[in-house]
Amino acid sequence: MNSFSIADELDQAVNNVLAGVGAAGLNTDLEIGELVGIASELRDLPEPTFRAQLKAQMSGHSVSKSATLVASQNEDRLCGAGACPGRVAFDFGTLASREKSRLHTASLQSQPEILPSLFRSTSEGYPLHQRNMAASLFMHVTALALVVVGGVWASHDQPVKKIFTTHTIALAEYPLPPSESVSHGGGGGGTRDKLKASAGAPPRFAAEQLTPPMVVVQNLHPSLPTESTVIGPPDVVFPKTQAGDLYSTLLVPSNGAGYGGGIGDNHGTGVGIGTGPGVGPGSGGGIGGGPYSLGTGVSAPRPIYDPEPEYSNQARVAKFQGDVVLWVVVGADGIPRDVRVQRSLGMGLDEKAIAAVRNWRFEPAMKDGHAVAVQVSIEVKFRLF
Amino acid sequence: MHLKVVENDTDERFLVEAAQRDPSCFAELYEQNFNRVYAFVVRRVATREEAQDLTAEVFHQALAGIGKFEWRGAPFVAWLLGIAAHVLAAHWQCNPKRQEILAEDLELAGNDGSIERRAMIFQLVESLPDDQRQVIIRRFVDQRSIKEIAQEFSRSEGAIKQLQLRALRNLRTRLRSHHEQL
Repeated sequence: MNSFSIADELDQAVNNVLAGVGAAGLNTDLEIGELVGIASELRDLPEPTFRAQLKAQMSGHSVSKSATLVASQNEDRLCGAGACPGRVAFDFGTLASREKSRLHTASLQSQPEILPSLFRSTSEGYPLHQRNMAASLFMHVTALALVVVGGVWASHDQPVKKIFTTHTIALAEYPLPPSESVSHGGGGGGTRDKLKASAGAPPRFAAEQLTPPMVVVQNLHPSLPTESTVIGPPDVVFPKTQAGDLYSTLLVPSNGAGYGGGIGDNHGTGVGIGTGPGVGPGSGGGIGGGPYSLGTGVSAPRPIYDPEPEYSNQARVAKFQGDVVLWVVVGADGIPRDVRVQRSLGMGLDEKAIAAVRNWRFEPAMKDGHAVAVQVSIEVKFRLF
Repeated sequence: MHLKVVENDTDERFLVEAAQRDPSCFAELYEQNFNRVYAFVVRRVATREEAQDLTAEVFHQALAGIGKFEWRGAPFVAWLLGIAAHVLAAHWQCNPKRQEILAEDLELAGNDGSIERRAMIFQLVESLPDDQRQVIIRRFVDQRSIKEIAQEFSRSEGAIKQLQLRALRNLRTRLRSHHEQL
Protein backbone atom coordinates (compact mmCIF):
# COMPACT_ATOMS: atom_id res chain seq x y z
CA MET A 1 0.00 0.00 0.00
CA ASN A 2 1.56 3.31 -1.01
CA SER A 3 1.38 6.48 1.03
CA PHE A 4 -1.37 7.99 -1.05
CA SER A 5 -3.67 5.05 -0.47
CA ILE A 6 -2.76 5.12 3.25
CA ALA A 7 -3.57 8.82 3.39
CA ASP A 8 -6.91 8.25 1.73
CA GLU A 9 -7.77 5.40 4.03
CA LEU A 10 -6.68 7.35 7.07
CA ASP A 11 -8.74 10.33 5.99
CA GLN A 12 -11.77 8.10 5.64
CA ALA A 13 -11.21 6.76 9.14
CA VAL A 14 -10.74 10.29 10.49
CA ASN A 15 -14.04 11.30 8.88
CA ASN A 16 -15.70 8.45 10.71
CA VAL A 17 -14.08 9.43 13.99
CA LEU A 18 -15.19 13.02 13.60
CA ALA A 19 -18.66 11.84 12.75
CA GLY A 20 -18.72 9.73 15.89
CA VAL A 21 -18.84 6.48 13.98
CA GLY A 22 -15.34 5.38 14.86
CA ALA A 23 -13.16 3.16 12.76
CA ALA A 24 -15.50 0.23 12.92
CA GLY A 25 -16.37 -1.31 9.63
CA LEU A 26 -13.13 -0.25 7.98
CA ASN A 27 -10.63 -2.86 6.97
CA THR A 28 -7.66 -1.04 8.46
CA ASP A 29 -4.20 -2.34 9.08
CA LEU A 30 -2.30 -1.93 12.32
CA GLU A 31 -0.74 1.44 11.44
CA ILE A 32 -4.02 2.96 10.43
CA GLY A 33 -5.54 1.65 13.61
CA GLU A 34 -2.85 3.32 15.70
CA LEU A 35 -3.22 6.61 13.87
CA VAL A 36 -7.00 6.52 14.17
CA GLY A 37 -6.60 5.98 17.91
CA ILE A 38 -4.58 9.15 18.08
CA ALA A 39 -7.11 10.89 15.87
CA SER A 40 -9.92 9.94 18.20
CA GLU A 41 -8.03 11.63 21.03
CA LEU A 42 -7.49 14.70 18.87
CA ARG A 43 -11.22 15.06 18.45
CA ASP A 44 -11.26 16.70 21.88
CA LEU A 45 -8.25 18.91 21.20
CA PRO A 46 -8.84 22.31 22.86
CA GLU A 47 -9.07 25.39 20.78
CA PRO A 48 -5.72 27.21 20.67
CA THR A 49 -7.46 30.54 21.12
CA PHE A 50 -9.21 29.31 24.25
CA ARG A 51 -5.98 28.14 25.78
CA ALA A 52 -4.25 31.43 24.99
CA GLN A 53 -7.15 33.47 26.34
CA LEU A 54 -7.29 31.46 29.53
CA LYS A 55 -3.57 31.87 30.00
CA ALA A 56 -3.95 35.60 29.55
CA GLN A 57 -6.71 35.55 32.13
CA MET A 58 -4.49 33.63 34.52
CA SER A 59 -1.73 36.15 34.11
CA GLY A 60 -4.16 39.03 34.46
CA HIS A 61 -5.80 37.45 37.49
CA SER A 62 -2.43 36.77 39.00
CA VAL A 63 -1.40 40.40 38.78
CA SER A 64 -4.80 41.48 39.94
CA LYS A 65 -4.55 39.18 42.91
CA SER A 66 -1.15 40.60 43.76
CA ALA A 67 -2.62 44.07 43.69
CA THR A 68 -5.50 42.97 45.85
CA LEU A 69 -3.13 41.48 48.37
CA VAL A 70 -1.09 44.68 48.59
CA ALA A 71 -4.21 46.78 48.80
CA SER A 72 -5.69 44.56 51.46
CA GLN A 73 -2.47 44.83 53.48
CA ASN A 74 -2.70 48.59 53.25
CA GLU A 75 -6.30 48.38 54.41
CA ASP A 76 -5.15 46.24 57.31
CA ARG A 77 -2.84 49.02 58.42
CA LEU A 78 -5.57 51.63 58.11
CA CYS A 79 -8.48 49.65 59.51
CA GLY A 80 -6.65 47.59 62.06
CA ALA A 81 -7.01 43.89 62.59
CA GLY A 82 -10.58 42.72 62.16
CA ALA A 83 -11.92 46.15 61.42
CA CYS A 84 -12.76 45.30 57.80
CA PRO A 85 -14.31 41.86 57.93
CA GLY A 86 -16.19 42.26 54.70
CA ARG A 87 -13.14 42.60 52.53
CA VAL A 88 -12.83 39.97 49.80
CA ALA A 89 -9.36 38.66 49.15
CA PHE A 90 -9.93 37.94 45.47
CA ASP A 91 -12.60 39.25 43.19
CA PHE A 92 -13.76 37.45 40.07
CA GLY A 93 -15.10 40.59 38.55
CA THR A 94 -15.68 41.50 34.98
CA LEU A 95 -12.90 41.56 32.48
CA ALA A 96 -12.96 45.34 32.54
CA SER A 97 -12.53 45.44 36.28
CA ARG A 98 -9.78 42.86 36.03
CA GLU A 99 -7.97 44.93 33.47
CA LYS A 100 -8.38 48.02 35.61
CA SER A 101 -7.01 46.13 38.57
CA ARG A 102 -4.15 44.83 36.47
CA LEU A 103 -3.21 48.36 35.41
CA HIS A 104 -3.45 49.52 39.02
CA THR A 105 -1.18 46.70 40.05
CA ALA A 106 1.31 47.58 37.36
CA SER A 107 1.43 51.12 38.69
CA LEU A 108 1.93 49.80 42.21
CA GLN A 109 4.71 47.50 41.11
CA SER A 110 6.44 50.28 39.24
CA GLN A 111 6.86 52.23 42.47
CA PRO A 112 10.23 51.55 44.14
CA GLU A 113 9.93 49.73 47.42
CA ILE A 114 11.93 51.06 50.34
CA LEU A 115 12.56 48.54 53.09
CA PRO A 116 9.65 46.31 52.04
CA SER A 117 10.20 44.00 55.00
CA LEU A 118 9.80 46.92 57.39
CA PHE A 119 6.72 48.39 55.81
CA ARG A 120 4.92 45.21 54.85
CA SER A 121 3.42 42.66 57.15
CA THR A 122 4.58 39.78 54.99
CA SER A 123 7.38 39.32 52.58
CA GLU A 124 8.62 36.41 50.51
CA GLY A 125 5.96 34.14 51.90
CA TYR A 126 6.93 34.18 55.59
CA PRO A 127 5.58 36.45 58.30
CA LEU A 128 7.60 39.40 59.42
CA HIS A 129 6.93 41.71 62.33
CA GLN A 130 7.56 45.38 61.90
CA ARG A 131 8.63 45.77 65.52
CA ASN A 132 11.31 43.13 65.12
CA MET A 133 12.51 44.65 61.89
CA ALA A 134 12.69 48.10 63.48
CA ALA A 135 14.62 46.71 66.46
CA SER A 136 17.02 44.91 64.17
CA LEU A 137 17.55 48.05 62.12
CA PHE A 138 18.16 50.10 65.28
CA MET A 139 20.71 47.61 66.61
CA HIS A 140 22.58 47.48 63.33
CA VAL A 141 22.72 51.27 63.08
CA THR A 142 23.89 51.53 66.69
CA ALA A 143 26.60 48.93 66.17
CA LEU A 144 27.79 50.71 63.06
CA ALA A 145 27.89 54.05 64.90
CA LEU A 146 29.90 52.52 67.75
CA VAL A 147 32.41 51.09 65.33
CA VAL A 148 32.83 54.43 63.57
CA VAL A 149 33.06 56.49 66.79
CA GLY A 150 35.47 54.00 68.33
CA GLY A 151 37.71 54.14 65.31
CA VAL A 152 37.78 57.93 65.33
CA TRP A 153 38.43 58.03 69.08
CA ALA A 154 41.24 55.51 68.85
CA SER A 155 42.89 57.39 66.03
CA HIS A 156 42.91 60.67 68.01
CA ASP A 157 43.95 59.34 71.43
CA GLN A 158 46.96 57.20 70.90
CA PRO A 159 48.59 55.99 74.11
CA VAL A 160 51.60 57.96 75.26
CA LYS A 161 53.39 54.75 76.03
CA LYS A 162 55.12 54.88 72.71
CA ILE A 163 56.94 58.09 73.68
CA PHE A 164 60.46 57.47 74.82
CA THR A 165 62.69 60.19 76.11
CA THR A 166 66.21 60.15 77.43
CA HIS A 167 68.43 62.73 78.98
CA THR A 168 72.12 63.20 79.00
CA ILE A 169 74.38 65.33 81.10
CA ALA A 170 76.89 66.44 78.56
CA LEU A 171 80.23 67.31 80.03
CA ALA A 172 82.13 68.50 77.04
CA GLU A 173 79.81 68.23 74.16
CA TYR A 174 77.96 71.39 75.00
CA PRO A 175 80.47 73.71 76.66
CA LEU A 176 79.08 76.83 78.17
CA PRO A 177 79.59 79.74 75.85
CA PRO A 178 81.85 82.53 76.94
CA SER A 179 79.87 85.42 78.32
CA GLU A 180 80.49 88.94 77.22
CA SER A 181 79.07 90.44 80.39
CA VAL A 182 79.87 87.88 83.00
CA SER A 183 83.25 86.46 83.77
CA HIS A 184 84.45 84.18 86.43
CA GLY A 185 87.22 86.39 87.55
CA GLY A 186 87.38 88.59 90.58
CA GLY A 187 89.66 90.96 92.21
CA GLY A 188 91.16 92.13 95.41
CA GLY A 189 93.86 94.24 96.77
CA GLY A 190 94.49 96.29 99.81
CA THR A 191 97.01 98.57 101.33
CA ARG A 192 98.22 96.24 104.04
CA ASP A 193 95.91 97.77 106.64
CA LYS A 194 95.47 96.25 110.03
CA LEU A 195 91.84 95.65 109.42
CA LYS A 196 90.09 93.70 106.69
CA ALA A 197 88.31 95.56 104.00
CA SER A 198 85.27 97.45 105.20
CA ALA A 199 81.77 97.07 103.89
CA GLY A 200 80.67 99.07 100.90
CA ALA A 201 80.08 98.81 97.22
CA PRO A 202 82.62 98.61 94.47
CA PRO A 203 83.01 101.56 92.14
CA ARG A 204 81.76 101.64 88.62
CA PHE A 205 82.76 98.87 86.23
CA ALA A 206 84.81 99.91 83.29
CA ALA A 207 86.67 98.25 80.48
CA GLU A 208 89.98 99.56 81.84
CA GLN A 209 91.21 100.74 85.15
CA LEU A 210 93.23 103.88 85.72
CA THR A 211 92.80 104.22 89.43
CA PRO A 212 92.04 101.37 91.81
CA PRO A 213 89.24 101.88 94.34
CA MET A 214 90.08 102.79 97.87
CA VAL A 215 88.14 103.30 101.06
CA VAL A 216 90.91 105.19 102.77
CA VAL A 217 92.52 107.46 100.22
CA GLN A 218 96.29 107.41 100.50
CA ASN A 219 97.07 110.33 98.18
CA LEU A 220 94.80 113.19 98.92
CA HIS A 221 96.30 115.49 96.25
CA PRO A 222 97.01 113.48 93.15
CA SER A 223 98.60 115.23 90.25
CA LEU A 224 96.01 113.83 87.82
CA PRO A 225 92.76 112.98 89.60
CA THR A 226 90.73 110.25 87.87
CA GLU A 227 87.69 108.18 88.77
CA SER A 228 88.42 104.88 90.40
CA THR A 229 86.93 101.86 88.58
CA VAL A 230 87.11 98.10 88.52
CA ILE A 231 87.35 95.87 85.48
CA GLY A 232 84.03 94.34 84.63
CA PRO A 233 80.84 94.62 82.61
CA PRO A 234 79.92 98.30 82.38
CA ASP A 235 76.16 97.56 82.47
CA VAL A 236 76.37 96.13 85.98
CA VAL A 237 75.64 98.92 88.41
CA PHE A 238 76.35 98.75 92.11
CA PRO A 239 74.57 100.81 94.73
CA LYS A 240 76.12 104.22 95.15
CA THR A 241 77.29 104.00 98.69
CA GLN A 242 80.63 104.18 100.34
CA ALA A 243 83.29 102.23 98.59
CA GLY A 244 84.06 98.89 100.09
CA ASP A 245 83.74 95.12 99.87
CA LEU A 246 80.26 93.76 99.23
CA TYR A 247 80.91 90.74 101.40
CA SER A 248 82.39 92.61 104.35
CA THR A 249 80.53 93.53 107.49
CA LEU A 250 83.12 95.91 108.96
CA LEU A 251 82.03 99.46 109.26
CA VAL A 252 85.43 100.93 110.08
CA PRO A 253 86.88 102.25 106.87
CA SER A 254 89.77 100.10 105.73
CA ASN A 255 91.32 99.15 102.43
CA GLY A 256 92.06 95.67 103.79
CA ALA A 257 95.07 93.64 104.63
CA GLY A 258 96.02 92.90 101.08
CA TYR A 259 98.26 94.75 98.75
CA GLY A 260 98.24 96.20 95.27
CA GLY A 261 96.11 99.24 95.84
CA GLY A 262 92.54 97.97 95.74
CA ILE A 263 90.12 96.96 98.48
CA GLY A 264 90.47 93.52 99.95
CA ASP A 265 92.60 91.03 101.67
CA ASN A 266 94.47 89.59 98.71
CA HIS A 267 96.41 91.33 96.04
CA GLY A 268 95.47 93.27 92.99
CA THR A 269 93.62 96.44 92.15
CA GLY A 270 90.07 95.20 92.50
CA VAL A 271 87.61 94.69 95.35
CA GLY A 272 87.23 91.48 97.31
CA ILE A 273 89.18 88.41 98.10
CA GLY A 274 90.39 87.75 94.61
CA THR A 275 93.59 88.64 92.85
CA GLY A 276 92.72 90.95 90.03
CA PRO A 277 91.11 94.21 89.04
CA GLY A 278 87.57 92.84 89.35
CA VAL A 279 85.18 92.21 92.18
CA GLY A 280 84.86 89.19 94.40
CA PRO A 281 86.67 85.90 94.35
CA GLY A 282 88.71 84.78 91.44
CA SER A 283 91.13 86.71 89.34
CA GLY A 284 91.40 88.61 86.14
CA GLY A 285 88.64 91.15 86.46
CA GLY A 286 84.92 90.97 86.35
CA ILE A 287 82.70 89.53 89.04
CA GLY A 288 83.89 86.45 90.78
CA GLY A 289 81.95 83.70 92.54
CA GLY A 290 78.95 81.67 91.26
CA PRO A 291 78.79 78.04 90.39
CA TYR A 292 81.71 75.95 89.37
CA SER A 293 82.27 74.58 85.94
CA LEU A 294 82.95 70.88 85.46
CA GLY A 295 86.49 69.68 85.41
CA THR A 296 89.53 70.88 87.22
CA GLY A 297 88.72 69.02 90.38
CA VAL A 298 84.94 69.46 90.23
CA SER A 299 82.94 66.24 89.75
CA ALA A 300 79.72 66.09 87.74
CA PRO A 301 76.38 65.96 89.54
CA ARG A 302 74.56 62.62 89.19
CA PRO A 303 70.77 62.54 88.73
CA ILE A 304 68.99 60.43 91.33
CA TYR A 305 65.40 61.33 90.37
CA ASP A 306 64.77 62.12 86.76
CA PRO A 307 61.17 61.59 85.58
CA GLU A 308 60.72 61.65 81.84
CA PRO A 309 59.21 64.76 80.34
CA GLU A 310 55.81 64.67 78.70
CA TYR A 311 55.30 65.01 74.98
CA SER A 312 53.41 68.08 73.85
CA ASN A 313 50.15 67.52 71.93
CA GLN A 314 51.34 69.68 69.07
CA ALA A 315 54.54 67.70 68.63
CA ARG A 316 52.65 64.40 68.96
CA VAL A 317 50.18 65.31 66.25
CA ALA A 318 53.01 66.50 64.02
CA LYS A 319 55.07 63.42 64.90
CA PHE A 320 57.91 65.81 65.72
CA GLN A 321 60.98 64.62 67.56
CA GLY A 322 64.44 65.95 68.42
CA ASP A 323 66.68 67.10 71.25
CA VAL A 324 66.45 70.04 73.66
CA VAL A 325 69.63 71.23 75.41
CA LEU A 326 69.21 73.03 78.72
CA TRP A 327 71.68 75.05 80.76
CA VAL A 328 71.19 74.25 84.41
CA VAL A 329 72.86 75.17 87.65
CA VAL A 330 72.78 72.29 90.08
CA GLY A 331 73.12 73.65 93.55
CA ALA A 332 75.05 72.16 96.44
CA ASP A 333 71.73 70.76 97.66
CA GLY A 334 71.19 68.87 94.40
CA ILE A 335 68.27 71.02 93.27
CA PRO A 336 68.45 72.43 89.75
CA ARG A 337 68.09 76.18 89.43
CA ASP A 338 68.29 78.81 86.77
CA VAL A 339 67.20 76.45 84.00
CA ARG A 340 67.64 78.00 80.57
CA VAL A 341 67.22 76.72 77.05
CA GLN A 342 70.49 76.39 75.25
CA ARG A 343 69.17 74.62 72.12
CA SER A 344 65.52 75.03 71.41
CA LEU A 345 63.29 72.45 69.66
CA GLY A 346 59.94 74.22 69.62
CA MET A 347 56.40 72.84 69.47
CA GLY A 348 56.13 73.09 73.24
CA LEU A 349 58.90 70.57 73.85
CA ASP A 350 61.20 73.21 75.39
CA GLU A 351 58.65 74.00 78.08
CA LYS A 352 58.04 70.30 78.71
CA ALA A 353 61.80 69.71 79.07
CA ILE A 354 62.20 72.65 81.49
CA ALA A 355 59.22 71.51 83.58
CA ALA A 356 60.65 68.02 83.85
CA VAL A 357 64.20 69.06 84.68
CA ARG A 358 62.99 71.43 87.40
CA ASN A 359 61.68 68.36 89.21
CA TRP A 360 64.88 66.43 88.93
CA ARG A 361 67.09 65.86 91.90
CA PHE A 362 70.86 65.37 91.82
CA GLU A 363 73.64 64.12 93.88
CA PRO A 364 75.59 67.40 93.98
CA ALA A 365 78.94 68.01 92.39
CA MET A 366 81.92 67.70 94.68
CA LYS A 367 85.10 69.78 94.97
CA ASP A 368 87.69 69.00 97.53
CA GLY A 369 85.21 66.79 99.36
CA HIS A 370 82.58 69.49 99.57
CA ALA A 371 79.32 69.82 97.66
CA VAL A 372 79.44 72.78 95.37
CA ALA A 373 77.11 74.34 92.87
CA VAL A 374 77.97 73.54 89.30
CA GLN A 375 76.64 74.55 85.93
CA VAL A 376 75.91 71.75 83.49
CA SER A 377 74.22 71.21 80.16
CA ILE A 378 71.46 68.61 80.01
CA GLU A 379 70.30 67.11 76.75
CA VAL A 380 66.66 65.93 76.71
CA LYS A 381 65.73 63.67 73.80
CA PHE A 382 62.18 63.40 72.50
CA ARG A 383 61.55 60.31 70.39
CA LEU A 384 58.37 58.75 68.93
CA PHE A 385 58.48 55.00 68.39
CA MET B 1 11.51 17.94 21.48
CA HIS B 2 10.74 19.95 24.57
CA LEU B 3 7.84 18.70 26.60
CA LYS B 4 6.44 21.07 29.13
CA VAL B 5 6.23 18.62 31.95
CA VAL B 6 7.34 18.96 35.50
CA GLU B 7 10.64 17.19 35.86
CA ASN B 8 10.36 16.30 39.52
CA ASP B 9 8.59 17.13 42.70
CA THR B 10 11.21 19.61 43.74
CA ASP B 11 10.68 21.78 40.69
CA GLU B 12 6.92 21.59 41.07
CA ARG B 13 7.10 22.44 44.74
CA PHE B 14 9.30 25.38 43.93
CA LEU B 15 6.78 26.61 41.39
CA VAL B 16 3.89 26.20 43.83
CA GLU B 17 5.72 28.09 46.57
CA ALA B 18 6.61 30.82 44.11
CA ALA B 19 2.96 31.10 43.07
CA GLN B 20 1.91 31.28 46.71
CA ARG B 21 4.33 34.13 47.29
CA ASP B 22 3.60 35.85 44.02
CA PRO B 23 0.38 34.83 42.19
CA SER B 24 1.86 36.13 38.94
CA CYS B 25 3.91 32.92 38.90
CA PHE B 26 0.75 30.85 38.65
CA ALA B 27 0.83 31.11 34.85
CA GLU B 28 3.69 28.63 34.78
CA LEU B 29 1.71 26.11 36.79
CA TYR B 30 -1.22 26.67 34.47
CA GLU B 31 0.96 26.05 31.44
CA GLN B 32 2.28 22.80 32.83
CA ASN B 33 -1.01 21.38 34.01
CA PHE B 34 -3.55 22.67 31.52
CA ASN B 35 -3.50 19.62 29.27
CA ARG B 36 -4.00 17.18 32.15
CA VAL B 37 -6.88 19.13 33.63
CA TYR B 38 -8.49 19.64 30.26
CA ALA B 39 -8.03 15.97 29.36
CA PHE B 40 -9.63 15.02 32.67
CA VAL B 41 -12.58 17.31 32.13
CA VAL B 42 -13.17 16.72 28.45
CA ARG B 43 -13.44 12.97 29.06
CA ARG B 44 -16.40 13.61 31.37
CA VAL B 45 -18.44 16.13 29.42
CA ALA B 46 -20.19 15.99 26.12
CA THR B 47 -18.80 18.90 24.19
CA ARG B 48 -15.53 20.77 23.78
CA GLU B 49 -17.16 24.06 24.74
CA GLU B 50 -18.40 22.56 27.97
CA ALA B 51 -14.95 21.17 28.73
CA GLN B 52 -13.31 24.52 28.05
CA ASP B 53 -15.72 26.40 30.32
CA LEU B 54 -15.26 23.96 33.16
CA THR B 55 -11.47 23.93 32.71
CA ALA B 56 -11.43 27.69 32.94
CA GLU B 57 -13.48 27.51 36.14
CA VAL B 58 -11.05 24.97 37.59
CA PHE B 59 -8.06 27.21 37.05
CA HIS B 60 -9.83 30.29 38.36
CA GLN B 61 -10.68 28.47 41.56
CA ALA B 62 -7.16 27.08 41.79
CA LEU B 63 -5.68 30.55 41.48
CA ALA B 64 -8.03 31.88 44.13
CA GLY B 65 -7.10 29.10 46.52
CA ILE B 66 -3.40 28.68 45.78
CA GLY B 67 -2.56 30.25 49.12
CA LYS B 68 -4.39 27.47 50.96
CA PHE B 69 -2.58 24.69 49.13
CA GLU B 70 -0.44 22.56 51.41
CA TRP B 71 2.23 20.31 50.04
CA ARG B 72 1.59 16.78 51.23
CA GLY B 73 3.64 14.81 48.77
CA ALA B 74 0.99 14.39 46.13
CA PRO B 75 1.62 16.11 42.79
CA PHE B 76 0.05 19.47 42.26
CA VAL B 77 -2.07 18.15 39.41
CA ALA B 78 -3.89 15.90 41.86
CA TRP B 79 -5.05 19.01 43.72
CA LEU B 80 -6.16 20.52 40.42
CA LEU B 81 -8.02 17.38 39.46
CA GLY B 82 -9.73 17.40 42.84
CA ILE B 83 -10.96 20.90 42.10
CA ALA B 84 -12.01 19.70 38.64
CA ALA B 85 -14.00 16.87 40.21
CA HIS B 86 -15.87 19.31 42.44
CA VAL B 87 -16.46 21.64 39.52
CA LEU B 88 -17.82 18.73 37.51
CA ALA B 89 -20.03 17.71 40.42
CA ALA B 90 -21.44 21.20 40.64
CA HIS B 91 -21.89 21.19 36.90
CA TRP B 92 -23.75 17.90 36.94
CA GLN B 93 -26.01 19.04 39.73
CA CYS B 94 -27.20 21.74 37.38
CA ASN B 95 -27.34 19.25 34.51
CA PRO B 96 -29.54 16.28 35.46
CA LYS B 97 -28.53 14.33 32.40
CA ARG B 98 -25.59 12.85 34.28
CA GLN B 99 -25.71 12.24 38.00
CA GLU B 100 -22.76 9.96 38.52
CA ILE B 101 -20.79 9.66 41.67
CA LEU B 102 -17.41 11.29 41.42
CA ALA B 103 -15.64 9.07 43.90
CA GLU B 104 -14.27 6.86 41.18
CA ASP B 105 -13.17 9.88 39.20
CA LEU B 106 -11.34 11.22 42.21
CA GLU B 107 -9.59 7.91 42.73
CA LEU B 108 -8.64 7.75 39.09
CA ALA B 109 -7.51 11.35 39.04
CA GLY B 110 -3.90 10.60 39.73
CA ASN B 111 -3.60 7.21 38.08
CA ASP B 112 -5.70 7.36 34.95
CA GLY B 113 -3.34 6.53 32.11
CA SER B 114 -5.78 7.66 29.48
CA ILE B 115 -5.67 11.16 30.88
CA GLU B 116 -1.92 11.20 30.70
CA ARG B 117 -1.96 9.84 27.15
CA ARG B 118 -4.52 12.38 26.02
CA ALA B 119 -2.75 15.24 27.74
CA MET B 120 0.50 14.15 26.14
CA ILE B 121 -1.10 14.05 22.70
CA PHE B 122 -2.52 17.53 23.22
CA GLN B 123 0.89 18.74 24.24
CA LEU B 124 2.69 17.03 21.38
CA VAL B 125 0.45 18.78 18.87
CA GLU B 126 2.07 22.05 19.88
CA SER B 127 5.45 20.66 18.96
CA LEU B 128 4.48 19.65 15.44
CA PRO B 129 5.77 21.56 12.41
CA ASP B 130 3.59 24.54 11.69
CA ASP B 131 1.91 23.19 8.52
CA GLN B 132 1.10 19.86 10.13
CA ARG B 133 -0.19 21.55 13.28
CA GLN B 134 -2.42 23.85 11.25
CA VAL B 135 -3.90 20.88 9.41
CA ILE B 136 -4.56 19.03 12.68
CA ILE B 137 -6.25 22.08 14.21
CA ARG B 138 -8.37 22.73 11.13
CA ARG B 139 -9.28 19.08 10.84
CA PHE B 140 -10.02 18.15 14.46
CA VAL B 141 -10.77 21.41 16.24
CA ASP B 142 -12.57 23.25 13.48
CA GLN B 143 -13.71 19.92 12.00
CA ARG B 144 -13.25 21.10 8.44
CA SER B 145 -13.09 18.78 5.51
CA ILE B 146 -9.98 18.09 3.50
CA LYS B 147 -11.41 20.08 0.65
CA GLU B 148 -12.00 23.17 2.80
CA ILE B 149 -8.53 23.01 4.22
CA ALA B 150 -7.03 22.60 0.76
CA GLN B 151 -8.85 25.67 -0.42
CA GLU B 152 -7.74 27.68 2.59
CA PHE B 153 -4.11 26.77 2.11
CA SER B 154 -4.33 26.79 -1.70
CA ARG B 155 -3.02 23.29 -1.94
CA SER B 156 -4.33 20.06 -3.34
CA GLU B 157 -6.48 17.72 -1.30
CA GLY B 158 -3.86 15.01 -1.72
CA ALA B 159 -1.23 17.28 -0.20
CA ILE B 160 -3.48 18.03 2.78
CA LYS B 161 -4.12 14.32 3.26
CA GLN B 162 -0.39 13.70 3.17
CA LEU B 163 0.13 16.46 5.77
CA GLN B 164 -2.55 14.88 7.94
CA LEU B 165 -0.88 11.48 7.61
CA ARG B 166 2.56 12.88 8.42
CA ALA B 167 1.17 14.78 11.40
CA LEU B 168 -0.46 11.70 12.90
CA ARG B 169 2.65 9.61 12.25
CA ASN B 170 4.71 12.31 13.89
CA LEU B 171 2.47 12.26 16.93
CA ARG B 172 2.68 8.46 17.12
CA THR B 173 6.47 8.53 16.90
CA ARG B 174 6.82 11.20 19.56
CA LEU B 175 4.32 9.48 21.80
CA ARG B 176 6.31 6.26 21.56
CA SER B 177 9.49 8.13 22.25
CA HIS B 178 7.96 9.71 25.31
CA HIS B 179 6.74 6.36 26.59
CA GLU B 180 10.17 4.85 26.07
CA GLN B 181 11.69 7.67 28.09
CA LEU B 182 9.31 6.90 30.92
